[in-house]
Amino acid sequence: MVKLFIESLKLSIKNEIEYKASFIMNSISQFFVFFTYYFTIVALFNKFNNIKGFNVYEILLCFSIIQFGFAFNETFFRGIDRFEDLVIDGSLDRFLVRPRGILFQTMCQKMHLIKIFRLLQAIIILVIALIKLNISWSITKVIVLLLMLISSTLIFFGIFVLTASYCFITVQGLEVKNLFTDGGKHMAQYPISIYKKGIVFVFTFIIPYAFINYYPLLFFIGRTNNILYMLSPLMVFVFLIPCLLSFKIGLKHYTGAGS
Amino acid sequence: MRSYLNYFKLSLITNLQYRAAALAGITTQIFFGLVYVMVYLALYESNKGVNAPMDMQNLITYLWLGQAFFAMTFPFSKNIELTNMIKNGNLAYELVRPQNFYFKFYIKFLASRYVSTMLRFLPIIVLAFVLPHPYKMAMPYSLGNFIVFLLALFLSSLLVISLALLMHIVAMFTIDASGIQSMYMVVAELFMGSIVPLPFLPKILITIGNFLPFRFMSDFPYRVYSNDIPLKEGLPLLLLSLAWVIITILIGLLLSKKALKKAVIQGG
Repeated sequence: MVKLFIESLKLSIKNEIEYKASFIMNSISQFFVFFTYYFTIVALFNKFNNIKGFNVYEILLCFSIIQFGFAFNETFFRGIDRFEDLVIDGSLDRFLVRPRGILFQTMCQKMHLIKIFRLLQAIIILVIALIKLNISWSITKVIVLLLMLISSTLIFFGIFVLTASYCFITVQGLEVKNLFTDGGKHMAQYPISIYKKGIVFVFTFIIPYAFINYYPLLFFIGRTNNILYMLSPLMVFVFLIPCLLSFKIGLKHYTGAGS
Repeated sequence: MRSYLNYFKLSLITNLQYRAAALAGITTQIFFGLVYVMVYLALYESNKGVNAPMDMQNLITYLWLGQAFFAMTFPFSKNIELTNMIKNGNLAYELVRPQNFYFKFYIKFLASRYVSTMLRFLPIIVLAFVLPHPYKMAMPYSLGNFIVFLLALFLSSLLVISLALLMHIVAMFTIDASGIQSMYMVVAELFMGSIVPLPFLPKILITIGNFLPFRFMSDFPYRVYSNDIPLKEGLPLLLLSLAWVIITILIGLLLSKKALKKAVIQGG
């Protein structure tokens, strides 16, 4: 399975560098995106010195964790993000007759490797933040950092799968999914405590962003020693259950979209 | 002229079909609006003594206007029809039509933006006005400001289209223009003030931004509304905005003529 995935990865790379000039331009522009994101936060904190008690590097840490998860999904799991294309043009029917899982095939079918630059950017920002923050490192700190990165990847994966299962019902009004991916990503760039109750509730108990980069972040930067805060990223697995389940149910009832 | 008007009408009708998309758009815009407002409120609350570059009420009005007219001012989205035409060579058919290629697409782009804006802006504006105090959008500073705002917004829509169309025309010179297009998007978004309002940027970027057309796409209209850019400065800026519209249209027109003249139709 891993071999197949790597094979698809190779194909995607070849595909991506086919038009050389465009590839270079694309890479540069992706890099510029990095600067605008980074600059906006740094620029804001040039004028202000904290947001609800968080300083600029704590914000950058929070931001980079979310960006990491999102960019990872955009790069390697792009196919799931564009699942509606498979339903609309009927390619999904072909997948059904092959001896591999549908989700796995979807992942292999399309990757968007140019987005790897965003992944690198997220890592660069993460490193900058970590250097400036003066973390008193320990094994638990390393674990919680890894947990945050993994859970951030998984939560976007879950949302992608959830919207993919929505495609089994209808491919209309799919723009709503931007609300949960792009919107959620924007919202979760800042610690969730800066928002009002309604938003905090939705993004803690319905889509658990708070468990990814807020509660563990508090533990990581030493605001609390509560072990529950450290383990809270594991909540993402609870979130994944309904996502995967709904995909499975949707697939079972899928009867083809076209003639 | 009649035929262009018909293109406009036809585009309007076609785009009216996307009402479900509009509903999703409204929800997204309202969500983004609330998130942005809350972030800035938190910033202002946590830094009480700090001299902020924008008055808070003006800033919140700015943010809501940005969400309400998002469909009109976002710098670029790929037009499938034109992009495919350029890629698969059907552009050749355009050469035999009596209408000017550039203006035909200008009209089509404009119409589709106007429809999506008309379907979206009202609920967002209404909500922004009825929200409780710190979240609430303010009325225009004066009637004069409001008139300049409307004119600036109209010029903004013309400028957005001429630049977006220019980015499509670039694709006639290189086969895959997505690199240039996404670069354009980044630069435009930064200097039009859609990521953060321009006053929050470092001084050097503000200076650079003053020499570029992008600030007329959203910064100028949204700030003149609340007199954050005083009315006195508004009138000369309107003229400058108009000048940018004319310049960008001329560049687009010339480039499209040049591209079509050189066009080699491949295949049979």
